[in-house]
Amino acid sequence: MIMKKYFKEFLLRGMMFSGLGPIVLAVIYLVLSQTVQDFSLSGGEAFTGILSTYLLAFVHAGASVFNQIEHWSVPKSLLCHFTVLYAAYALCYVSNSWIPFVPGVLVVFTAIFVAVYFAVWITVYLCVRRTSRRLNGKLS
Amino acid sequence: MELKIVIDKNRAEEVLVFAHERSELVKSIESLVERCEKNFVAYGDGCVRKISADEVYCFVSCGGKVYALTENEKLLLKERLYQIEEKLGNNFVKINQSCIGNINSIKSFDVSVSGTLKVIFKNGYTDYVSRRQIKNVKERFGI
Repeated sequence: MIMKKYFKEFLLRGMMFSGLGPIVLAVIYLVLSQTVQDFSLSGGEAFTGILSTYLLAFVHAGASVFNQIEHWSVPKSLLCHFTVLYAAYALCYVSNSWIPFVPGVLVVFTAIFVAVYFAVWITVYLCVRRTSRRLNGKLS
Repeated sequence: MELKIVIDKNRAEEVLVFAHERSELVKSIESLVERCEKNFVAYGDGCVRKISADEVYCFVSCGGKVYALTENEKLLLKERLYQIEEKLGNNFVKINQSCIGNINSIKSFDVSVSGTLKVIFKNGYTDYVSRRQIKNVKERFGI
């Protein structure tokens, strides 16, 4: 029953923000068309790009629910959140041929993804922890 | 002091006091009116009763219904959350779109793994401060 609630929340958040993916993609395509000579896209590439970024934004937004499942431990929440995001990003990049499906490249992609993921997480965590401590100071 | 009471169902209810100074009587009337304004009709365990806002730890909206969470009870209210918010005083703060908390009933704040601010009430109920409300919460605590 509880997991059903979180699943619904996943879908709801996903639907709310999924439209952002293709918008970001459109901006990137616009920049590329202005800066790269002879930049062009086939219909299939445009379709894959729009669909995959839509799904990526859906998963990205929905996955934030993992961190709010109270009965999950911190490592479990983090691992699930990381795994789902990594899978979504990797599939999106590979399906759009933004990175080749080559082991060496995938290793570099994974390393960058891990570094960025934890850098963002630690920064946000420390900022909110500071706020939390200041608020607790005002409570006591 | 003259006391005048006008019973008129066609007018909006109001209490008007003419006084030379803010005396103890004026303050008492003020506090009495304030208390009456912040009462809510609550439904729970097959009975209906009036509860004061001070008894409530937080008001939460869940599944289209609004509840008042007290120390031990979860009471159903007929009012919408935005109507309740309008009635509440300075000791309440909006936590997120579906929760308004009593500042005096907050036990502590904590940080969640997702980097969101978690609020823990003295009755054990926990909720998350939405990013939109963080600034508001900080301001209410003078940060």
